[in-house]
Amino acid sequence: MSAMALSVAVPDQPASRTPLAFGLLLPIALVNAIGFLAPVAYLLRMSFNESTGGGGLREAFTLASYLAFITDPFYLGLVARSIGFSLLITALTLVLSYPIALFIHRADAKWKSLLTIVTVSPLLVSAVVRTYGWMLILGDQGFVNGLLKNAGLIGAPLRLINNSTGVVIGLTEILMPYMVLALLAGFGRLDRSYEEAALSLGARPWTTFRRIVVPLTAPGIALGCLLCFVLAVSSFITPKLLGGGRVFLLATEIYDQAITLLNWPLAATMSIIVLVIFGLALVFYTRIVRALD
Amino acid sequence: MVAASTSFSEEGVPRIQSGIPDHLVLERLEKRYGDSVVVAALDLAVKQGEFIALLGPSGCGKTTTLRMTAGLVPASGGRIVIGGDDVTRLPPYRRDIGLVFQNYALFPHMTVAQNVAFGLEMRSVPKAEIAKRVAEALALVRLEPYGARRPRELSGGQQQRVALARALVIRPSLLLLDEPLSNLDAKLREEMRTEIRDIQRRLGITTVFVTHDQVEALSMCDRVAVMEGGRLIQFGTPFEIYERPRHPFIADFVGRTNKLSGTAGEAGFVAAGPLTLRAAETPPKGSAVTVMIRPHRIEIRPKRAVAADPRRNVVTGRIVRTTYVGDLFAYDVDIGPSTVQVEKPTTAGPQAFNQGDEVELEWAPTDTLVFRDGA
Repeated sequence: MSAMALSVAVPDQPASRTPLAFGLLLPIALVNAIGFLAPVAYLLRMSFNESTGGGGLREAFTLASYLAFITDPFYLGLVARSIGFSLLITALTLVLSYPIALFIHRADAKWKSLLTIVTVSPLLVSAVVRTYGWMLILGDQGFVNGLLKNAGLIGAPLRLINNSTGVVIGLTEILMPYMVLALLAGFGRLDRSYEEAALSLGARPWTTFRRIVVPLTAPGIALGCLLCFVLAVSSFITPKLLGGGRVFLLATEIYDQAITLLNWPLAATMSIIVLVIFGLALVFYTRIVRALD
Repeated sequence: MVAASTSFSEEGVPRIQSGIPDHLVLERLEKRYGDSVVVAALDLAVKQGEFIALLGPSGCGKTTTLRMTAGLVPASGGRIVIGGDDVTRLPPYRRDIGLVFQNYALFPHMTVAQNVAFGLEMRSVPKAEIAKRVAEALALVRLEPYGARRPRELSGGQQQRVALARALVIRPSLLLLDEPLSNLDAKLREEMRTEIRDIQRRLGITTVFVTHDQVEALSMCDRVAVMEGGRLIQFGTPFEIYERPRHPFIADFVGRTNKLSGTAGEAGFVAAGPLTLRAAETPPKGSAVTVMIRPHRIEIRPKRAVAADPRRNVVTGRIVRTTYVGDLFAYDVDIGPSTVQVEKPTTAGPQAFNQGDEVELEWAPTDTLVFRDGA
């Protein structure tokens, strides 16, 4: 039946498909060249310019910004903290999203699309608005502190925003829809009968989860983690607002250097460093996927 | 085919001895989803070492019964006893069963050997013994050289045998097979029938085989439980199921049959139109009945003038169609109230009758199956 449908759906291949394919690819290639490649090239060029202090800029080919970056413990700490935070947020996002994705995957077909829409619906609201929402919920007079105080569990409000706690909570929630979608995309191989087979062979539920479910969903886990890590490292608005200027990460520092201190070469250098981190994450991901296969 | 793999006499005396204890007992087993009853008060006892089939059309509750036995779906009522232990409330991993799925469910991220070893690892069997038993199990299904392959690198029949090895290597007390042959092509299916039957005999393992294919059920199993609408309607040897069905559904579902409608007459007689037929068992006089006669139980010969044997059914008719089916000649014979089909093996000689020939049909009263309508 499906084979028949397939053979019907495949049209006769025209003799010269290449010009058409090229023509169809051209618009997006142009958009990417102008909107992405050119700015990155410009960024790279900028990182070799010289800052003359107080916002001054001189065309040059110098590694001064790179040297300044790698010799300053503050900046190196920034890299370590950004990566550490992003890994923590990625791990939390994974732990919180996995059960949701599993539940959606196992739901009846009629519920599946509804549940997926509900899960990704936060993406319809901008991250700025959601971050303000978290400020209302987590603030000293916010919902969480109010609830705990009224319950008599705490005397003084817990500091949940304007510190790293707020950043972790906010970013984890903001990234969860991406993680759920990536996990669902990678759950294709997971069939209930594998779990039933494991149970019938004497595996307890936890062992079945560890030995069967996790390995079968590993491609989704890897994809989701890559996506959330990259988004966490590059996130700016949420750390800026929920960190209250007290949480220093690469993205917020790039903003400060570029907008407040007008040191464009250093800001560009840090942007290139972020790109390098993405590249490394991608290499790591590719290796994992290859090992899984 | 029936005669080849079973060993009861023509009279249907079962081979199963009464001294063998029951190994699997289902007592008033029931499954309901809301108001719909999927399995209704099912009673079934399977003897130690016996190979039984749960046979029925899709939706008859046979797979649900198997899944309840495996512990994959909870029973709504009743008891499941395996080897004397009530396992009704036990999870699957504590039931000591081997299960083979319709889609095999081989773990795709493990090699064939790792798949087979999985159940032994779960039982904390020492490494050296695992290696030995995995090799034995793969030898049993003739797949020794394939241990290092991934399941997806094997053919359907090979995957099927790996699934069987994986279920058997743990030496379960009960083997459950859920439509294991339905994904194979016809030739392979026949090979696997014999292979599964041989392995089951060799190991003497109590086995429940779910199928909607009557040929599989009749040719492989010691006894066949026919289910319909969540109920068990007959449990007997393949001979009993095929030749002495106790329910019109079975006569219709299993094998081919001729159907006539009629009325019960004096004890031992039914009237079908102008014909009066002899039957071994008949309902009370006057009841509306359906009469079924298996095409292969009818003798066919040229019409002759001599008096018919009064203890048997003899009717005359005219051939309206002849069909050559390779191993069979099928003759459609108009006998008045309707047309009946008669089958003769082609080994009996060349085609004996042609369209328009006047013939005489004869069959034993025990082959006139009479079912009271609406019962």
